[in-house]
Amino acid sequence: MSTVIRAQNLTLAYDHGKKEIIKNASFDIHKGDFVFITGPSGSGKSTLLKSLYGEIRPKEGSLNVGGVDMTRVSARKLQELRKHLGIIFQDYKLINEWTVAKNVVLPLMIAGYSMDVQQAQAQRLLKHVKLAEHADRYPLELSGGEQQRVGVARALSKNPVVILADEPTGNLDEYSSNVIWDLLENACKQLQTTVLVVTHKMPTVFSLPYRHFIIEGRGVYEVR
Amino acid sequence: MKSVRNHLMFILPLLAILLGIEFYLVFDRTTRTYEQSLKENYAMLLVATRPTKLAELKAKNDHIASLERIRREQIVEEAAKGLDKESKKEILKALPYFYNVGLDSYLGTEEIARIKKSLEALPYVKRVETFGSSYGSAYRLFSFIKLLLKFFIGFMAVVSLLLIVKQMEIWRYAHQERMQVMEIFGAPLMLRSGVLFRIAFVDAVLATMITTGIFMYVKFSWANESGIALLKEKQDSLFVFSDMWILLAVALGIVFVAVFSVVWSSTKGVKE
Repeated sequence: MSTVIRAQNLTLAYDHGKKEIIKNASFDIHKGDFVFITGPSGSGKSTLLKSLYGEIRPKEGSLNVGGVDMTRVSARKLQELRKHLGIIFQDYKLINEWTVAKNVVLPLMIAGYSMDVQQAQAQRLLKHVKLAEHADRYPLELSGGEQQRVGVARALSKNPVVILADEPTGNLDEYSSNVIWDLLENACKQLQTTVLVVTHKMPTVFSLPYRHFIIEGRGVYEVR
Repeated sequence: MKSVRNHLMFILPLLAILLGIEFYLVFDRTTRTYEQSLKENYAMLLVATRPTKLAELKAKNDHIASLERIRREQIVEEAAKGLDKESKKEILKALPYFYNVGLDSYLGTEEIARIKKSLEALPYVKRVETFGSSYGSAYRLFSFIKLLLKFFIGFMAVVSLLLIVKQMEIWRYAHQERMQVMEIFGAPLMLRSGVLFRIAFVDAVLATMITTGIFMYVKFSWANESGIALLKEKQDSLFVFSDMWILLAVALGIVFVAVFSVVWSSTKGVKE
């Protein structure tokens, strides 16, 4: 099984290294893994996720994502890496002045795909997340659950190697949450996409048979 | 409506700067011809006891560009009306030689005084008249107006630049989120700031066209209808086509610096 993410003695910190959030964490995540990361508020779940898409540089240890050494990644290399990641946020981070379809194909646009490919992919993905009829609407015209489905479609649009989801159902009701979980599980099972989900929804974590990391006292522990 | 307002908030200060620059260009062009005419029309009067040549005077000061002898016969004819021929001959014999001395450029009063002193040092020169007071006052007034205009344009440019910076902050807030989302998904700088560059480019072209339009109107319509003789006389200098390229270059320079400042300040980068 190929390793997609490898952390060894990873230390993450804020305030120019003064405030350590995660200390000496080591773990491997493989292709096709579905991983939950849980922990108390402020424990460093989102910080860990941010380090995986290069928004925070490790203070110590090593972190490798998709073959890229995140401790010394250049801006150009980081741009390239991010093109192969699908990122989902709790607050959706959709571009409100763009239509739903345009939001979905943002990663394709960045990668320079033709308009035809973008349109076809937008149609296919919006159908997949059951929002085909909303293609020409704007994000603020949709409900929270619908907006997050747009976020998932965007994350899937370029068949990413890894999907990083930060509290993807944090603002959603149970029905919408279940739709999102189904979409992420399908991506993992059908496309062999590695999915890392930060969440505080413990019932969901316990109900699904996937790997589970807990962050506590600055350590990262695999409990399942 | 909001979009129009956003454009106007950027175009108006840019327009103020461009108008200031064009005012200065026009002023400089029209006063250059005025300066030229002042220079051409100005001459010192030199009184000498014997005939002299340009080379002799030029050796004393490089600014001396021409020497024109004033015909004494005409002076005698005017001054000695009614006298007989012999008397007129005597007067002519006793009269010194008069010359108009031209200069190569429009000089300050101090330089004029220096030239006067150097010419009066020649033993055969009896007197040099510089017409200093009228020349000096015209020169001082001219310099004062030029300085005042420069100061005003400079002040206007500073105020306008401050307004542009303010507008840039508004743009930064308006586009920050979109640019950051695009950055997270790996968009290069030029792609995530493409919209801003397009807006800025359009605004720069619009401001240049408006400024050009205003000065074209002044040149081809208002100058004719105003009845101001000086404007009609200087009509060609009111706007020249090459000014448009200067204005466009300045406008593009300003907007691109402004947009780059927004883009850089919106780039989150990697936190250490």
